[in-house]
Amino acid sequence: MATTTTETVRLTIDGVPVTVPKGTLVIEAARQMGVMIPHFCYHPKLKPDANCRMCLVEIERMPKLQTSCSTPVAEGMVVHTATTVVNEAHKSVLEFILANHPLDCPVCDQGGRCDLQDFSHEYTPTTSRFLEVKRVFPKEYFSALIETQMNRCVQCLRCVRYCDEVMDVKALAPSGRGTMTEIKHFTTHQLDCEFCGGCVQICPVGAITSRLDLYEFRPWMLKRADTVCTYCGDGCHITIQTKGNDLIEVNSAHGAGRNNGDLCARGFFGYHATTHPDRLQSPLLRRNGELVPATWEEALEFVAETCIALKLKHGPDAFAGLIASRCTNEDLYVFQKFMRLVIGTNRIDGSARYGHINGVRALRRVQGTHRWTVAFEDIVGAEVLLLVGTNITETNPITGLKVKEAVKKYNATLLTIEALVPAIGTISNIANLSAHHFSVHPERFGNVVLGLIKAVVEGGLVAQTLTQRAPAYVEAISQTLRAIPWETLESVTGATSQALMEAARAFVAARRAVVLVGQGVLRTPGGFGVATNLLDLLLLTGKHDRPGCGLAPLAEENNDQGAVEMGALAEFLPGPSDLDDRAARERLAGLWKEELPQRPGATLMQILGDARAGNVKALFVVGENPIGSLPRAAQAKEALERLELLVCQELFLTDTARLAHVVLPACSYAEKDGTFTNTEGHVQAVRHAIDPIGESRPDWEILSALSVLMGYPIEYGDAKEILKEIRNLIPGYGLLGPAPATPRSDEAVVERYLREGYAEDVGARYQLTGAGSFDMAQPATSSAESDRRDAGKVKDGLQLTLVVGQTLFHSGKLSTRAKGLMEVQNAGSLGLNPSDADRIGVTDGDRVRLVNQAGEMTTSVRRLDRVPEGMAVFPEHFDEEARRLLTVSVDPVTQVPYCKSAKVRIERL
Amino acid sequence: MPTYEKILLKNMEMPGYTGLLADYERVGGYQALRKVLGKIAPADVTAMVTKSGLRGRGGAGFPTGVKWGFLPKDYTGPKYLCCNADESEPGTFKDRQLIERDPHQMLEGIAIACYAIGAETAYIYIRGEFSLGARILERALAEARAAGYVGTNVLRTGVNIDIWLHRGAGAYICGEETALLESLEGKRGLPRVKPPFPATHGLYSKPTVVNNVETLANLPYIVNRGPEWFASIGSPPKSTGTRVFCVSGHIKRPGNYEVPMGITFRELIFEHAGGMRSQKPLKAIIPGGASAAFFTPQHLDVKLDFESVAQAGSMLGSGGVTVMEEGTSMVWAALRLMEFFYHESCGKCSPCREGSSWLVQTLRRIINRRGRMEDLETLTDLCKNIAGRTVCAFGDAEIAPVLSTLQYWRDEYEELIRAAEPSGAAELVMPARH
Repeated sequence: MATTTTETVRLTIDGVPVTVPKGTLVIEAARQMGVMIPHFCYHPKLKPDANCRMCLVEIERMPKLQTSCSTPVAEGMVVHTATTVVNEAHKSVLEFILANHPLDCPVCDQGGRCDLQDFSHEYTPTTSRFLEVKRVFPKEYFSALIETQMNRCVQCLRCVRYCDEVMDVKALAPSGRGTMTEIKHFTTHQLDCEFCGGCVQICPVGAITSRLDLYEFRPWMLKRADTVCTYCGDGCHITIQTKGNDLIEVNSAHGAGRNNGDLCARGFFGYHATTHPDRLQSPLLRRNGELVPATWEEALEFVAETCIALKLKHGPDAFAGLIASRCTNEDLYVFQKFMRLVIGTNRIDGSARYGHINGVRALRRVQGTHRWTVAFEDIVGAEVLLLVGTNITETNPITGLKVKEAVKKYNATLLTIEALVPAIGTISNIANLSAHHFSVHPERFGNVVLGLIKAVVEGGLVAQTLTQRAPAYVEAISQTLRAIPWETLESVTGATSQALMEAARAFVAARRAVVLVGQGVLRTPGGFGVATNLLDLLLLTGKHDRPGCGLAPLAEENNDQGAVEMGALAEFLPGPSDLDDRAARERLAGLWKEELPQRPGATLMQILGDARAGNVKALFVVGENPIGSLPRAAQAKEALERLELLVCQELFLTDTARLAHVVLPACSYAEKDGTFTNTEGHVQAVRHAIDPIGESRPDWEILSALSVLMGYPIEYGDAKEILKEIRNLIPGYGLLGPAPATPRSDEAVVERYLREGYAEDVGARYQLTGAGSFDMAQPATSSAESDRRDAGKVKDGLQLTLVVGQTLFHSGKLSTRAKGLMEVQNAGSLGLNPSDADRIGVTDGDRVRLVNQAGEMTTSVRRLDRVPEGMAVFPEHFDEEARRLLTVSVDPVTQVPYCKSAKVRIERL
Repeated sequence: MPTYEKILLKNMEMPGYTGLLADYERVGGYQALRKVLGKIAPADVTAMVTKSGLRGRGGAGFPTGVKWGFLPKDYTGPKYLCCNADESEPGTFKDRQLIERDPHQMLEGIAIACYAIGAETAYIYIRGEFSLGARILERALAEARAAGYVGTNVLRTGVNIDIWLHRGAGAYICGEETALLESLEGKRGLPRVKPPFPATHGLYSKPTVVNNVETLANLPYIVNRGPEWFASIGSPPKSTGTRVFCVSGHIKRPGNYEVPMGITFRELIFEHAGGMRSQKPLKAIIPGGASAAFFTPQHLDVKLDFESVAQAGSMLGSGGVTVMEEGTSMVWAALRLMEFFYHESCGKCSPCREGSSWLVQTLRRIINRRGRMEDLETLTDLCKNIAGRTVCAFGDAEIAPVLSTLQYWRDEYEELIRAAEPSGAAELVMPARH
């Protein structure tokens, strides 16, 4: 946390002396010694509101009973929580709260886990003195996902306060006065918000419940499994509650996991994906050109025989493998072992290649770690947070919550470099909390980073120690930056030098600074360079080795980090160690009792290229979907069609699986055990909640079965046994503890980087990008003027940068199968700045055509204030058409395919 | 009839007095401001007010100078003064007259208070229904600004005092000082948990003083004629100065009467307000606005000062004296007041929110001849359970009419209950108690 106070206060609660930190609330102090004071409105995440009056206690030398939720402890305080007076007070307040409660417990989904029920049981007589008429609210439709029963509401306002204080969404508000106060949202339409489910989780009674499982259960009937959410890299703890083999609901208890019980829409409402009726029930085998159901024996034998034949004919490097990061560490580990030992090739790659690898490679290069040197706690405790190219509230909502907490609760200074502009909307927008926001074109985030570094080196803010330690390094960077005049920088970023200087000063002044870099950088051209430059920024300001400081690349998929550490990527062995690291190879060979293949690996784009050229004959695809993920320009389909064997391990018949020769049904995370490693490098246990759907099996088990058939058995009894093997190889997998021990940067690597490592590309990295192309950063007035001047051009359409990206309601490869999420968003629409929409004369729902050299598409428009002028955003989960317009470029160093944006012309239909 | 020198109503009762700046200046307006600005140290102004014994005229009667003294001493950031013009207490209408008839008097008071506490910004939170008052104040503010009494560099002394008018939107609770601050900040007007108090965490979490219109209007005279003079009026040492009592109800001449504190109810009602409107004798008095407990004819000789009224079991409150004649149903009177409190309970605290709805429904039932004797015990019980268990004083206020009518006129309740229609009562079978 931000400050760890050592000051303590001694007090007496119910005759027992206790010592607690100064500032602790009486209710908390009591809880710490095991005394539960009844309450409704109090919640540790929220500021005290003291409205329910339930937690009254007697404090000696205070005239009246005090609310323990709003009274901080004081030295020598004597508190009584169970005197006759206090008990009477609890009883009377509860009598008031119950007066207007409908007592419809038999049909209430909260029945059995309801605070009001429990306290009533403890404090009130079985009969009521209330003979009057209870208030009745007319039933109102609230939303497709959230149900309100305002008659049950105890008006504690926890939901409203959570929505504001924690989520920063402010979708809910009390409306009306007195007993007729009800919780409402601000529009006449149904609720439109982030659907984080926080209000459902925090409601102490059954006033706000989920509609996904309305009336389907009684809480005590449910079986629970604590596991990890798979929708992004945050790695949130979730409790899956099931009845039989049906998923009933998902929640997360306060204090649980890295998310502290907070969830986002995907975590809370997205759980139905795994039980979607389209799940593959049995293996499919291509017979006479068609995929038909087959038995496991037939399918596996076909794969094994074909593999053996192909390997004899073309050698092991005619094989390649792709694996998705939705798989557990155990799956990933067995996959790479299978490919390396059974097949004999290093030609494997996975979804970390889409961007996460850029961050990892930068970390390894500069400071010798592959994980963050910070944890979520450091984000909350940071004095300055620099967010670069991350729409964090949508891509990594829970990491976003940590940022919100740091800013809102602990007054951290937030610096943001993002395309989105601050705007109040139905979902939160981190730019709204920013002290220094730089809104720039999505391909020019790096320019602002250069601006910040220029401000550091030219403003005399470089750390003294570094200047002495590595004068050549500092000089090289200064010199390159001197070549870029401020005027040029200002024109390509739209930010003034003063603004950059102020932001740089704020960054330097902070004792604890965390830099978060997201997909906006990692998945766009130059991503590797920008990530390296951000590490330069930390080095130059002397922060890289300070506790609580560091660079944190945000993982997109839930186990991107695990895929790196399991060595399921072209350039890594488990560890990760470099493929040509002799010591690591020897260690592995010793453990595996088998020599590792010598030849180099191949990345996603190389594999596709080789397949297209006919050099790759057989491809194993585990959960990956290159056809569905890459734009048409990548020609993935053409590549896969040339294969002689395409094996897909999948949950659903994806675009890629449709081309397969064999499709093997795999278990989802809800049906298997294992571990995931989240974005901060925390290894967490995955536990099965339901039995496998149909005949599906865990991915590692399928590979293990194949290995037996192919004569190189890699056998394990269960996932735990694999983890045991992983533990022997990879540090950090020993204990699945409550918080990760963050690695320190390797000073030898830093030293090497400062001495010579930086030099190889310092000139290239410190160049402006995107100069001269369409300028989004120009002021709105001048662009409006130029538009008026070029009225003819506007009639033909407007030039925009189309960015295909993730939205809050969809991520990973399964979210479009989740009925809850589809209720919120079931189609793509183009997000346009209202001014741009006005220029082409369209409003919400109007259809437009997007055209460029590569193709065209039509779609409907949604006006979004947070989208800057000159940009159009489209959700990648509905981008089948949009992918036609996108082009691909490949990073020369990390081989990341950049394919998320394109220049397009937009015209009204 | 004894006559007393008026202070606050003096100007407006002069023939032809319009309340415009010229009129106010003619009678010596803004001289007090000239006298203090830059000439008397702010701390000395506060000391002067403390010495005068001036107490808040809004209801609670807190010593004004002491309140100002609670502001942090070595704090250099922004501070605020809020003038509470959200006069909504039933039976109270003094601020309205002070605003409408002599706006500059209170503006001068605000300016003096700002100077004393070091606030550069003051907000007047005026009740939404006072649309005439708001128009008059806006005009007066424009005049004062043009004349250099308000704005930057007031009277070229280098002191900045800006005054802004904010109209409420019709919630009684916004007269509670912390709810007023919430409302002023643009939020839902709900009382805040105290501590922290507004003196340290007020408007926008900055040190803030909230004073009533009448309180502030007294300041120019304290400055002009000295605190000793003010302290000699009324019933010193605790209740100094005059009060504008709002007399209403079954009397001959309802209206505002400014008299020194310490005269008796008998004098106020029978001499100043002309006595009862008809031959019926006096039955009940609400001594200080709807939140104050009822008095009976036995209390007619109680003195109208803070201590005496409190000692007699009620409070001087906002100065709204409502008189009721013999023949008034006190159960009905209690219900009428309870209806008001039920309507205005903000709903924040469970006891007040649920209690007001419960009390009002039970009273209605009794009036409608559906009462039961046990109800009286329940009413008393509920009131006891509301008292002292809410964030603000509203909870304590709403039970006053019920408890005091039950205390003095319990027989009227019992009579109504005895008259309960048998069929009605029979329907209400009470389940067995445990």
